[in-house]
Amino acid sequence: MDDEIRRLLSQAPRRSVMTRRDLLRRMGIGAGALSVTALAAACGIRGEAERNRTEENGAAQDPDYTTDEITGTLNFANWPLYIDRAKGKRPTIDDFEKSSDIQVNYQEVIEDNESFFGTIREPLANDQQIEWDLIVVTDWLIAKMARLGYLEQLDHSRLPNFEQNAGEVYKDPTYDPGNAHSIPWQSGITGIGYDPKRTGREITSFEDLFDPAFAGKVGMFTEMRDTMNLTLLGLGVDPQEATVEDAERAQQKLLEQREAGIVREYYGNEYADALIRGDVWITMAWSGDIFQLQFDDPDLQFVVPDEGGILWVDNMAIPQNAAHPIDALEFMNFVYDPEVAAQITAWVNYICPVPAAQDILAQAKDNYTQQVAQSPLVFPTPEMEARLHSYKTLEEDEEEAWNDLFNQVIQG
Amino acid sequence: MRRGRLVPFLLSLPGAIWLLVFFALPMATMLSVSFQEGSLEEGYRFTGTATNYTDAVTKYDFILWRSLLFGLIVTALTLVISYPLAYWIAFRGGRRKNLYLLLILLPFFTPYLIRTLSWKFILADSGFLLGTLKDVGILDEGFRVLATPIAVISGMTYNFLPFMALPLYVALERIDGRFLEAAQDLYSSRRETFLRVTLPLSLPGVFAGSLLTFIPAVGDYIDPEYLGGVNTTMIGQVIQREFLTSNDYPEGAAISFLLMAGILVGVFLYARALGTEEMTG
Repeated sequence: MDDEIRRLLSQAPRRSVMTRRDLLRRMGIGAGALSVTALAAACGIRGEAERNRTEENGAAQDPDYTTDEITGTLNFANWPLYIDRAKGKRPTIDDFEKSSDIQVNYQEVIEDNESFFGTIREPLANDQQIEWDLIVVTDWLIAKMARLGYLEQLDHSRLPNFEQNAGEVYKDPTYDPGNAHSIPWQSGITGIGYDPKRTGREITSFEDLFDPAFAGKVGMFTEMRDTMNLTLLGLGVDPQEATVEDAERAQQKLLEQREAGIVREYYGNEYADALIRGDVWITMAWSGDIFQLQFDDPDLQFVVPDEGGILWVDNMAIPQNAAHPIDALEFMNFVYDPEVAAQITAWVNYICPVPAAQDILAQAKDNYTQQVAQSPLVFPTPEMEARLHSYKTLEEDEEEAWNDLFNQVIQG
Repeated sequence: MRRGRLVPFLLSLPGAIWLLVFFALPMATMLSVSFQEGSLEEGYRFTGTATNYTDAVTKYDFILWRSLLFGLIVTALTLVISYPLAYWIAFRGGRRKNLYLLLILLPFFTPYLIRTLSWKFILADSGFLLGTLKDVGILDEGFRVLATPIAVISGMTYNFLPFMALPLYVALERIDGRFLEAAQDLYSSRRETFLRVTLPLSLPGVFAGSLLTFIPAVGDYIDPEYLGGVNTTMIGQVIQREFLTSNDYPEGAAISFLLMAGILVGVFLYARALGTEEMTG
């Protein structure tokens, strides 16, 4: 009780350098502001089917960039708080600008995949240039955009650092065979977060989310892909092989959980605050969040359920017709330098695609960075990795069917 | 045309342009969107289809009903709470009337979102209020306020109270004291004076307050989103999700128009029941 109050009242950062978590707290992200860009995207929705372009780009072909040279400019769209910061600057961006003579226009414009895609879909469908040379979106959207022919092929001869330093899990992923259109930025795990003080026991299984003993104290996600894929794994179905019937079974499972009064709420980002406050004891969770919450409450735990968890990957990609593709490739290669990757991960705390960064961080003097290096939530152990699966890549009609099934669960 | 005739036209021009640009245009656009078909990937095209509406009704009818019901309960609650309050300020407030009105308005100095979110902390299951009561043993360990219909309705009642109280106050304050004296001169009891003079004269305030509360309450997004849980989904949340997560703009637009139709019908019935002439005061 006293601890609770202290935690709520003393929200002072523990280190002089602000981390993403501190910033998130101060800015009150998760307050669910509707993004203006997304609303704007909702207007004027005309568009023609651009299916024919898929055929053209389906076969692997040589990259066909508008320019083959470094132009000195890079327009980079990323998510908020997804790159290191220090004293109002972004060291990684500054280092890159110094070493390459490329000026980076770095914008934190991506609030979520769907609404960002809404803002760029129409020009891409009309084969026009969009303002970004480099974007960061989640694996399933990479698959979708590649299918529609909205992404440039990557010239891997310009990405030696990726070949050399990327972890094996990140090469040739199911959502983008051969990394033809994308390479990872950061990734994370969808699993279960819980507070052992309240649950009173260790959590290991997906079924624990359905335990009547936790009725009204269980949190689930409003993210369709996370919840459906995790539930499929819980049912023993490999998401990649899942049929619509499997999705219906998953829906049934989730509806039962809801009807039995076990779910308290379906959460977006706010689940983290609910866990700290004790409103939920056990909840679906993202690894990076729990890692940061552990600085507030070291007891909190994150587990990959025995049945399996989801490894999602946010990827860098170059949109079709980008004005400065070579500059973008230069940057992609730059962040696969282990030193640079370590610098980003030390601040962002998501899973780093460069295993060598772990050793670099482990040599750091300060406590915090050492903790980052040692945490399995930032550098997962091989046992954890063995239990991780990707989201199912959904065809358009499947996606609609899954959305319908899932919306019935969370909107009752 | 003589200059004199042109003046009223010119005077109304800014308002008319404003309405055209910011009301008529978006409404017309959304109406056309609600009759489109397609998908995000292939684009949406106008086909005049009504499936968005039929889909919306089959999928979300109970959420529409729930929203209307919640709106109704909130309106009734704010009315019951505000009427005595406004009455007291109007007739017994004396020199401090303005101070009391300021007190009603005071919560408005904080943004809606912040006010609502703060309840999430105050009422947290193990927060300093419920946690203490549970420690002392007054409340059962499993007791909770948040994520229940009661939390959503109470939150909305709290947030919309001034919208009801202020129009009521204005209507009551306007009542000519001589009417009340006349009623008493004619041997009317206090109760009769209230029922036959004060109440009918305050009806325009009741009507205005009800509309100002009911309409935004039915479409409210913030209270059900932050105070609600599993069985409190309201139509505003459904529309938000259709637009921003499912990216099904036609469906979202169709639900919005259904909601508008529902509210219009409700308001129309209400105006009929109270008698339209009274409403214009």
